[in-house]
Amino acid sequence: MDEMHFQSSAALSVGVEIELQLVRPRDFDLSREAADLLARLAKRRLPGAVKPEITESMIELNSSVHSDCAALAGELEAMRAAVVEEAGVLNLRVCGGGSHPFHVWTERRIFPNERFRNIVERYGYLAKQFTVFGQHIHVGCPSGDDAVYLTHMMTRYVPHFIALSAASPYYQGEDTSFQSSRLTAVSAFPLAGHMPFVRDWSEFLAYFETMKRPGIVASMKDFYWDIRPKPEYGTIEIRVCDTPLTVRRAALLAAYAQALADHYLAGRPRQPARETYLFNSFNRFEACRYGCRGSIVEPYSGVKANIGDDILETLAAIAPSGERLGCVEQLAELETGVRNGDSDAGWLRARFGERKSLADVVREACTRWEKGG
Amino acid sequence: MTELDFLPGFPPAFSQPALFGVLLLVGLAAGEAVRRYAALPRIIGYALAGVLLGPQATNLLSADVLIASRLLVDLSIGLIVFELGFRLDFGWLKRNRWLLVTAIAESLFCFGVIYGALVYFGFRPLLAAAAAAIGTATSPAVVLMVANDLRAEGQVTERMLLFTAVNSVFAYLALTLLMPFLHFDLASHWQTAVLHPLYLLAGSMLAGLAACLLILWLARWIGKREEAQFVLLVAIVVATVGVAHSLNLSVVLALVTLGMLARNLDSTHVLLPLRFGHGGQLFFVILFVLTGASLQFDALRTAAAVTAVFIAARFLGKAIALLAFGRLSGIRPGGAGLLSIALLPMSGLSVMMVQDTAFFYPAFGAELAAVMLSAIALLELAGPLATQFALRRAGEARPDG
Repeated sequence: MDEMHFQSSAALSVGVEIELQLVRPRDFDLSREAADLLARLAKRRLPGAVKPEITESMIELNSSVHSDCAALAGELEAMRAAVVEEAGVLNLRVCGGGSHPFHVWTERRIFPNERFRNIVERYGYLAKQFTVFGQHIHVGCPSGDDAVYLTHMMTRYVPHFIALSAASPYYQGEDTSFQSSRLTAVSAFPLAGHMPFVRDWSEFLAYFETMKRPGIVASMKDFYWDIRPKPEYGTIEIRVCDTPLTVRRAALLAAYAQALADHYLAGRPRQPARETYLFNSFNRFEACRYGCRGSIVEPYSGVKANIGDDILETLAAIAPSGERLGCVEQLAELETGVRNGDSDAGWLRARFGERKSLADVVREACTRWEKGG
Repeated sequence: MTELDFLPGFPPAFSQPALFGVLLLVGLAAGEAVRRYAALPRIIGYALAGVLLGPQATNLLSADVLIASRLLVDLSIGLIVFELGFRLDFGWLKRNRWLLVTAIAESLFCFGVIYGALVYFGFRPLLAAAAAAIGTATSPAVVLMVANDLRAEGQVTERMLLFTAVNSVFAYLALTLLMPFLHFDLASHWQTAVLHPLYLLAGSMLAGLAACLLILWLARWIGKREEAQFVLLVAIVVATVGVAHSLNLSVVLALVTLGMLARNLDSTHVLLPLRFGHGGQLFFVILFVLTGASLQFDALRTAAAVTAVFIAARFLGKAIALLAFGRLSGIRPGGAGLLSIALLPMSGLSVMMVQDTAFFYPAFGAELAAVMLSAIALLELAGPLATQFALRRAGEARPDG
């Protein structure tokens, strides 16, 4: 049961994982050259880590653990620059975004290692369709009980993270009409969804045992939940974000998670409510479909509101946390974005409107990512 | 008048379309057969079909037919080198200077080693230089076709295509620059000696540039519609081949120029990514069957030693350059060796260069042919296998490819 021992970590430390698209400049379709790029990056001194992901068309950037989100942003920027430089040597382009707009999923090749092969063996075409690109945000928790509490509290904000990061309007060559089409690919997995309504870490362990005994899961990795506790890191992991089009935005999302966590962990202003999970699917759908223009049902009051307005209200409520953590500037930038109606999905659609070609959309996304900031 | 007059004479005279259909059918069948029963690249089947139909065997594709079909060969090679040029990304060479150095070294070393070896074995320097120039080129058609066939993708594949584009241009330039010496050798006027290569180089490149400007202008006007841009591409390529043909310019140089410039001058990205699809396959079959028909194995017995020296020197030259600069240009360990194997094929392009030289300088051409044609024949058949092996070994081919 060692792996399920909750490793205590500094409260409110943050780290992110970002899945990136590797693109070939010839036609801006996904490339298959992750292995060569990873081999080159392995020879460099980098602050975080760069890892393979399930298909040979993606790599994952892992930041180290930070308490200060400006430092996190700096580190991500350094990693971004290194990846872009090494990719240039191999004539590869790199971009963010939650989905590749027009790749054909049957063309994907699985990265040759044991774990990924097992996933394909088990999930068949779901595994290849899962070529989508997300950002995971880890927030440190002092104890397992804190992690369970924070997971419940953060679930109410899942639509915020979806709407703020949405960057996958195109999928398999079509405009999906969604702001984030990526989460639909995740929902197909049998263990997708959310953590059950357990009260503390010991209840969670009992639940985990119940699932493990008949062999439904072997480890926490088998749960594809929106938010899951990660005992070996001592964190909770928010997994609903699309990879944004810039590292800067990735860092803003981390700052938002950090401030929310501070708001709840410092004195637990509210207790978890089952109602959160009643409205969860509706809220989540609205966020995927309409982004900040969607609706959200507030679980404690049962009142329906606009997601964008709800984010602005939340930002006002957590402002003291922002000040305590030194990320006022980041939260202000998020606020401006919401007020202006900016979104990465909107930006991608605007590029298509201008250029009338999805290959050009990918090209521009690459240029934006590679430019930095 | 007898009652059976409606029947054709015997044997019936096959019309051009019938012959063309037979060429495609036999090529297709042979390609599928070698693939299915011997796991060989389809190209080898196409070439064998050519040998079978050609003057060496059934003579269905007689020497006259082959001369008449030169335009078809030009067209096929034109489309293929255009595609190759279109994949050549100047940006990559700018970001990775060592790659540029490697590409140039690959051509220079290959030329140098072949030249040295042939001179060492007692060939006239001029003949050795012409053979070395032609030998520098890798067959664009073979590498593209094998890469497409295996649906290969990766660093070895991309660099193989890049180096092929560079060494094909190099081979053509080198051969053209040798022209003045050939003219002096044959005691022509100095005006001819200087003006002929100048006309070829400048004319071909200008034709390519003009076609490129036209294609970019029309593409902007047409907009991003895949089917319309496809017709546009084919139209411009065919027209450029035709113009180069009529003006006695180099089809290869004109079309590589067109491809490279179309890719790299398209600063506002009006051209859609190139996809020839199944239509492209048609030209591969035509080209390889016709090349197969013009292969000559007679000299293999008499010129076995030269052939062996030529092939060995060619491989050595490429390998030395690639191994020396491979790491600096950022290829993974082992990649450089596989690249030198992948770059082995020679084919239609080389045959064409030998024929063109023979057209202007018949006596010299015959000498050159004696040295070259056996090597080309061998590498036409063995080359695809080498490329296939290298790409598979590099892990860049699809398992089902």
